[in-house]
Amino acid sequence: MGETVVKLDNLVKRYGELIALDHFSLEIKEGEIFGLLGPNGSGKTTTINCLLSLLAYDKGSIEIFGKKMTPTSYDIKQQIGIIMQDVAVFDELTVYENIDYFCGLYIHDKAKRKQYVEEAIAFVGLEDFVRFRPKKLSGGLLRRLNIACGIAHKPRLIILDEPTVAVDPQSRNKILEGIAELNRNGATVIYTSHYMEEVEQLCTQIAIMDKGRKIAEGTKDELKRMIKNTETVTIEILELPDAVRSEIENLPHVYETAYIDDKFTVRCSGGRHNLIRILDVLRQNDLSFGRVYTELPTLNDVFLEITGKSLRDKED
Amino acid sequence: MQVFNAFLKVMRSKMSSGIIYIVIFLVIAVIMTNSAKTDATKVFEGRKIGVVVYDDDNTEESRALKEYIGKRQDLKELERDADLIKDTIYMNWNAEIHYVMAIKKGYAEKLRSGDYNDLFENYHMHDSYENVMMEQLLTEYLNTVGAYQAGGIALSEAISRTESVLSAETEVTIRNYDENAADHDMSPLFDDYFRYLPYILLSVLIEVLCPVLLTMNKKIIRYRTDCSSVRPTSYMLQIILGSALFVVCIWLIFMIAGTAFFGMFRGRAWLTLLNSFLFAMVAVSLSVLIASFHPGELVVNLLAQILGLGMSFLCGIFVPMEWLSESVAAAAKFLPAYWYIQANDLICGKQAFDGHRILVCMLIEAAFAVVFTLASMVIRRYEAGKAAAA
Repeated sequence: MGETVVKLDNLVKRYGELIALDHFSLEIKEGEIFGLLGPNGSGKTTTINCLLSLLAYDKGSIEIFGKKMTPTSYDIKQQIGIIMQDVAVFDELTVYENIDYFCGLYIHDKAKRKQYVEEAIAFVGLEDFVRFRPKKLSGGLLRRLNIACGIAHKPRLIILDEPTVAVDPQSRNKILEGIAELNRNGATVIYTSHYMEEVEQLCTQIAIMDKGRKIAEGTKDELKRMIKNTETVTIEILELPDAVRSEIENLPHVYETAYIDDKFTVRCSGGRHNLIRILDVLRQNDLSFGRVYTELPTLNDVFLEITGKSLRDKED
Repeated sequence: MQVFNAFLKVMRSKMSSGIIYIVIFLVIAVIMTNSAKTDATKVFEGRKIGVVVYDDDNTEESRALKEYIGKRQDLKELERDADLIKDTIYMNWNAEIHYVMAIKKGYAEKLRSGDYNDLFENYHMHDSYENVMMEQLLTEYLNTVGAYQAGGIALSEAISRTESVLSAETEVTIRNYDENAADHDMSPLFDDYFRYLPYILLSVLIEVLCPVLLTMNKKIIRYRTDCSSVRPTSYMLQIILGSALFVVCIWLIFMIAGTAFFGMFRGRAWLTLLNSFLFAMVAVSLSVLIASFHPGELVVNLLAQILGLGMSFLCGIFVPMEWLSESVAAAAKFLPAYWYIQANDLICGKQAFDGHRILVCMLIEAAFAVVFTLASMVIRRYEAGKAAAA
């Protein structure tokens, strides 16, 4: 990875009594797809707004491309693309005119702009809809238009603030593929979401936020290594005697079990062959069981273990 | 000029209702102008009606009356048959005969004795103007004869003098307004055109400009634009430029149309130009103020109607101020259209021309524009502060 593109140092933002950002620090390197993961209200959008100098903060500093970011840092803003959760387009303009408008806020040379707009249209696959007005587009196409408006001027840093909220799975995959391609083309990406699967799939570096604080940061593997849980085994079983449960709890690497609604969950920390050992115990006790499955830890487990609550608890 | 271009494109998409207003107003103005172009000298023309006179008295006096009638109306012949007369008059069998009368036997004797009652028998349509015309003619004749007789003049001499006196004609010349236009700076129609202008300016500017400003200042669009390298002042200036261009264009359309309908502005008419421009500024500042409250398009439409019609009815645009009660007139003083109309009346001659009063009216109009602009700036500042704190 290259030089530092974004540096947030000890950022504090208060809304009256509420602390939205609590000494929040971050460093994003060039070429990264940086995921900002956290439940709703964790401070992701506040971070983005402070980053773009749209919101004044109480303490700390922000540097982008090695320069202090202020509301008048137009040279820095010139190199940033923003794609928001809400589609920001003019209903009165066509697809082409919308992309041209937002590209024109950065690129003043007409010929260059025309080329960039056409490239953006091709990138999001809206060639057949250039004369359409946004109201005629489906939800997925509208999102693509939103992305085209944000990236048409070929920014070095692209900020995507929950771009896949309320998007169907097919369009969501296309959007994620597009983001990955933008990154391959050289853009550094900041991606905020409360969908851990997306962040896991896309991001090279992840920061997990809660209550305005950064609670963990690293690659997805690094994050998963931070927690005790390495494997969760779930077995559907109608009857589980306490003696058998105790026997399983005493197996090596098993650190927690739960038996709820005929589902027996065993959490393991490290070790191999955990599933085989558990099934052996059940067979030795002549207990019949139904479906058996094993899961590797997710970012939700990371969040759960660090904060004691689920990422999805607060989903819309 | 990206924001300015987008402003114009958004404006184009919102223009339909404005175009409807403009077209309707101009069409009405064209109709009014064309109807006013009718030659006034041809509106009034001398006309004779067909009269049948049966002389049952057959005296010199009755013949003199018949001759008198004959000189002023068209005497017609008709067989003396009661049914035929009724059919002719009431069933309109003969369109050339409108009045049938008989000078009763003893007419001359009655005149000589000063009795003017029951001299004639007549057939006519009640309340027709032909009837009124003939009644007037006969009454005038008999009154004049009677006046001479009362002065001691003999009947034959009285009849002769009556004939002579009533033959005198006063020459009446009817002139078209334009023939005398060199003495005036504007026609009454010009006054009407500028009288109704505030309604159309308010309607068009609020209906079109408000939704455009709302679109350009939509939170999500402003947010997105603020993220870009466009300076907020540049954004605002481009929107102001777009708004100004639109207002001037709309105002110019009406001024050019006014010139086409009523000729070039001259003399005092230039003051109406200034007055209307000031009111256009009032209308645009009011539109900006409304837009700063972020109303829905339906509310904008409603406000355009309420403000346009409300000011028109309260401030003397549709209804003359003289017809309104004192309390309404007093309340109207708090509306800019009242001062526009006051200035217009002073300029167009509805009130005695008074340069000082015109200036006061125009300054009050300008003050309204300034107050509306300041109010929208205060609202914007308040909202910006709220957004920064949020």
